[in-house]
Amino acid sequence: MKFINLLKKELAELINVQMILSLVVTMGIFMVLGGVMKSSIDEAVDSTKNVKVNICDRDQTDFTKAILKAIEDINNDPDEHTEVTIKTFETSGDDYAKILEDNDISNIVIIPEGFTASVEKGERPELISVNRMKSAATMSNISSGNDNAVSLIKDCVASTIAQKNGLSKNDYDLIEVPVKVNNNTVVEDKSAEVSSDSIIGKVTLQNMVLPIIVFVLIMLTSQMLMSAISNEKIDKTLETLLSTPVSRLAVIGSKMLAAAIVALINAAVFMIGFSVFVSGATDEVTETAKDIASGSVSVDEALKQLGIALNFSDYILVGLQLFFTILICLSVSLILGALVDDPKSVQNMLMPIMMLAIIPYMISMLADINELPTPVKIVVYAIPFTHTFTAIPNLMFGNTGLFFFGLAYQIVFFAVCIFAALKIFMTDKIFTISLNFGQKNKYKKKGKKSAANEE
Amino acid sequence: MGNVLEVKALSKQYTKVLAADKVSFEIGEGEIFALIGPNGAGKTTTIRMISTLLSPTDGDAVVAGHSVVKEPEKVRECITYLPDEAGAYKNMTGIKYLRFMAGLFFTDIDKINKSVERAKEICGLGERLNDKIGSYSRGMIRKLLLSRAVMTRPKLAILDEPTSGLDVLNAIEIRKMIKKLAAEEKMSFLLSSHNMLEIEFVSDRVGIIAKGHLMVTGRTDELKERYQAENLEEVFERVVLENEIH
Repeated sequence: MKFINLLKKELAELINVQMILSLVVTMGIFMVLGGVMKSSIDEAVDSTKNVKVNICDRDQTDFTKAILKAIEDINNDPDEHTEVTIKTFETSGDDYAKILEDNDISNIVIIPEGFTASVEKGERPELISVNRMKSAATMSNISSGNDNAVSLIKDCVASTIAQKNGLSKNDYDLIEVPVKVNNNTVVEDKSAEVSSDSIIGKVTLQNMVLPIIVFVLIMLTSQMLMSAISNEKIDKTLETLLSTPVSRLAVIGSKMLAAAIVALINAAVFMIGFSVFVSGATDEVTETAKDIASGSVSVDEALKQLGIALNFSDYILVGLQLFFTILICLSVSLILGALVDDPKSVQNMLMPIMMLAIIPYMISMLADINELPTPVKIVVYAIPFTHTFTAIPNLMFGNTGLFFFGLAYQIVFFAVCIFAALKIFMTDKIFTISLNFGQKNKYKKKGKKSAANEE
Repeated sequence: MGNVLEVKALSKQYTKVLAADKVSFEIGEGEIFALIGPNGAGKTTTIRMISTLLSPTDGDAVVAGHSVVKEPEKVRECITYLPDEAGAYKNMTGIKYLRFMAGLFFTDIDKINKSVERAKEICGLGERLNDKIGSYSRGMIRKLLLSRAVMTRPKLAILDEPTSGLDVLNAIEIRKMIKKLAAEEKMSFLLSSHNMLEIEFVSDRVGIIAKGHLMVTGRTDELKERYQAENLEEVFERVVLENEIH
């Protein structure tokens, strides 16, 4: 009952309007970003499926008309998935900006006069492609209209030249795609008929989510608990609390539990938000990739064949490691929070935890820790959070020994930290120790009058 | 009249400093005892040991029959402690704070409600209790905390600088309240203050502490007579600066 009273108070302190507002804003930002990403990619994907070709034929020969006809005929080819819509324009001169503006278009392909003559002479004909650049953003500039039109015209010219030189359609197709590559990926003793690029693409996206959640969890949990402890110390509400008929263990326990609950709420919001963002960015592409990659196995199927797809028990193990990560954060924050008795020092005290989280986070994103030189590897593995960042790759690639070593190390690390934290909280140390950044001089001046400080 | 508090040769040794050296005194039922001394004299250390926040390196203090060394949990059921310059949870309303604190002493809802009602009456903050503590003045916070300290009717209320931050009128009101609670409800008080006028007015007995030693104890009029002094301030000066002990 008293513990519930304490827990309710701690939760009320942590879950305030600012916190809820920041969660709503975070969620909103992720959703908006996801939406923007999705619409941009939809547009890009749509433009590859439904090609809109703006074309101006200044040559007006039978050959160029035949090219345009051949492009239109693509719609009647059952093997082609692309829908082509041709819009023809009458233009003159080389003021391309004016041409785009007058016709209210953002791109156009111009077949100049003398195009056919060049083909007939066996010279390389010139084609003019004009694109309007809207901004520096990659997505906003994706427009496959011109590229497709140019590619189609190139095909037509190439096949005309081939026919002229007596090559059959089959010969021409063979020259165009001379080698068929059969991609295979091997993990240990298993293999799957899929390119390693598509496996890496999928795994990277999957593995991006967890480290971000872990990072957010570590930072939020630490900051919340450290502030909770230091504020109580600074306001002397801790003295009041600890002089009431509740055990110190209940006071610490309620703070730790509340910080963990709030951190998990935050992590869940980040996870949902990030998933919305990532799925917005990847679903459409994956669907398109499936259409294109006919013949070879799907990436999910390949992950199973290679034995690197995570199963239910793997997820339980990852969850267990995440749980110990939070516990380590809480115990370290208890110690650091107890050392602070100045609000500004909380940020300084957060630095060691931040560094311990950033180092393995960055390394795990950029390199395989197991491939690092041994001394560096030892240092990185000595950071308890490293094992959380490497949990999924270790389980995926069968490094279970390393995973369980990491889990055991985290359990030992937590035991040591919580023992130290309890040693501080259950004894006089909670009122006598402090590490005051920037206040050392003040204390030095006091010199032997430190009794007053201890008072 | 039995003793509510018996402090027996209580000592506290920090790493380099002996903050309290064999401090002994007692407080009777309904008695107001004031511990006075300069900064760093050992007042807060002594008070913190009696409040079970610090553990003594030697000696003991017995509150309502319970030892602070052996039964700190039992001691905490009998006392309340108001630290000097203490704050409260800024995001809580005054009324929620009182309810939260009462909930740490009692599990019975009826007792909690009665305590809160009593605190509401004592603090006199009225409708402002429904506002967040963050919007209170220093004086309002002090009144809220004082009412919190007495709402559960503790056997011993330990108040460090009870009227700090209060204006003259509010301070007078609080002093009267302390005297009334001691006289009518037999609540005992251990006070610490730098305000000699306040001590003279409110306390039954005084203990002067310096450099960790409790130098003298006695009723204020007794001490004035013993030292042939006009007021308590003069007694304090002679005890602390000249180590004059009668």
